[in-house]
Amino acid sequence: MGKILRIYKPFTHAGFLLAAQYRINFVFFVLGDILRCFITFFLWHAVFTSGGATTFMGFSETDMTVYIFISFLTGAVAYSDGSYIVGEEIRDGNIAMRMIKPIRFETALMFQELGERTISAVMIFIPLAAGVEIYKFVVTGTLGFNIWFFLLYLVSLVLSYLINFYFNICYGYSAFVLKNLWGSNLLKECIVSFLSGAIVPLAFMPAGLGFVLNLLPFASLTYIPVMIYLGMYDVPTILMSFGLQIFWLVFFIFLQRIIWSACVRRMSVQGG
Amino acid sequence: MRIIKKIHRTFKLHRIFIKQDLKRLMEYKVDFLTGAVGMLLAQAINLFFLSVIFSQIPSLNGYTFEQIIFIYGFALLPKAIDHLFFDNLWSIGYFIIRKGDFDKYLTRPVSTLFAVTVEKFQVDAFGELIVGITFLCVSIPQIDISINFINILLFIIAVLFSTFIYTGIKLITSSIAFWTKRSGHVMYMFYMVNEFAKYPTTIYNKVVASIITYIIPFAFTAFFPASYFLVGGNPLFNIGGTIVMAAALMALGIFVWNKGVSAYESAGS
Repeated sequence: MGKILRIYKPFTHAGFLLAAQYRINFVFFVLGDILRCFITFFLWHAVFTSGGATTFMGFSETDMTVYIFISFLTGAVAYSDGSYIVGEEIRDGNIAMRMIKPIRFETALMFQELGERTISAVMIFIPLAAGVEIYKFVVTGTLGFNIWFFLLYLVSLVLSYLINFYFNICYGYSAFVLKNLWGSNLLKECIVSFLSGAIVPLAFMPAGLGFVLNLLPFASLTYIPVMIYLGMYDVPTILMSFGLQIFWLVFFIFLQRIIWSACVRRMSVQGG
Repeated sequence: MRIIKKIHRTFKLHRIFIKQDLKRLMEYKVDFLTGAVGMLLAQAINLFFLSVIFSQIPSLNGYTFEQIIFIYGFALLPKAIDHLFFDNLWSIGYFIIRKGDFDKYLTRPVSTLFAVTVEKFQVDAFGELIVGITFLCVSIPQIDISINFINILLFIIAVLFSTFIYTGIKLITSSIAFWTKRSGHVMYMFYMVNEFAKYPTTIYNKVVASIITYIIPFAFTAFFPASYFLVGGNPLFNIGGTIVMAAALMALGIFVWNKGVSAYESAGS
């Protein structure tokens, strides 16, 4: 364990420096993306005012607002560049250099992202989570912060990142076949954001579809952590959700190893 | 005669560049098609989202589902046209200036702005264009809009000038890169405000509504012109405002661009 840390720590340091270098860019990007949350917020506000009812399919207006911002936060923190990086390295042939080094490709990448994530977590996680809690306090008039749900949310968030990381690596390997990943990355982002509940809570889906989507790995990325944060899951459901997240994590780790060893044998580099 | 010749030459150049760009695209055919499917799917998901909302409420701030679809479809048209012709401005903001690649445009016998924009013909935009037109075609028969010569003319004018609001904002923000070397992220932040245009401005609070009406006037790219067709409101403000905003932003954009070109200093290496 100590040896692994010693080998991979420089990658974390590099990722940290990289993110620190581009922190201003990052802030502007986050501001641009947060605008979308506000649009959704105003849209739901109009829905609640026009509808006249206090709940929409079981969600109050406060729940909905928290859902919008926490699902954004979850997506932003659990974000992984894996499929872009793997895709690019395959396209320009640098992947060959990775193969001759005595370190695991995906582990090095993860340690690098760990450094980057630290910066983004500090810059967006604290202000956004604090903002949401203050909003809840102003609207409801009571201190609704529950430390246990918050800690469970953090555990679920870490699992969400790990699943997302290995899923993206698996996806990136499709560049061995497709050569260029611009289009399929676009398609992936679109499908994942829908299936993970980032656009519409899975509770709003038709019953049968909702049940299936809850079991798919995408629910583990956004929907499960956010529902835990909202306090909408009871203890047995939370334990079951953790089980599901761990199952998908193990699944993608093994899938990643299988694809990698299969692809290494039949790799061809385009040469830039 | 000279001006006609000049216009003719411009169009001819444009055609040659488009052909060139399509060749580049054909290199990765499957990839491009996958991306196009992704774009269409993204719009379909938005439609699903709206239908979930409207399954529970009859109208949103007084607007029916069909009217919202009309505004949404209208919003996509100028966005798509700008995307199709002026997408290379993003590269200006991100890397052309930073890498010193802007040098090549200075050596060409056409204006720098033309040379930059003509270089890329962004076919992805057809996704938005198709969805926008579909949304309009589906919603128009369901709502009470009189289709006559004046309305069609005003519609074309409104879409055209709305496009220039997009282009103007991109032009101003990308030109910042002439001084700062890189402005893609600033561009992105301003550009993202366009998302507000997809829904009626009346759902937002006063601060947001004022910003998207007077400061980053994306409300004039969809809601205001569309509401003229929907409820026949004041054309002087709804359509006239679009024209004024577009003219002002384009004038400012071209001014900043020209200032920027003279301030441009190539990259060191």
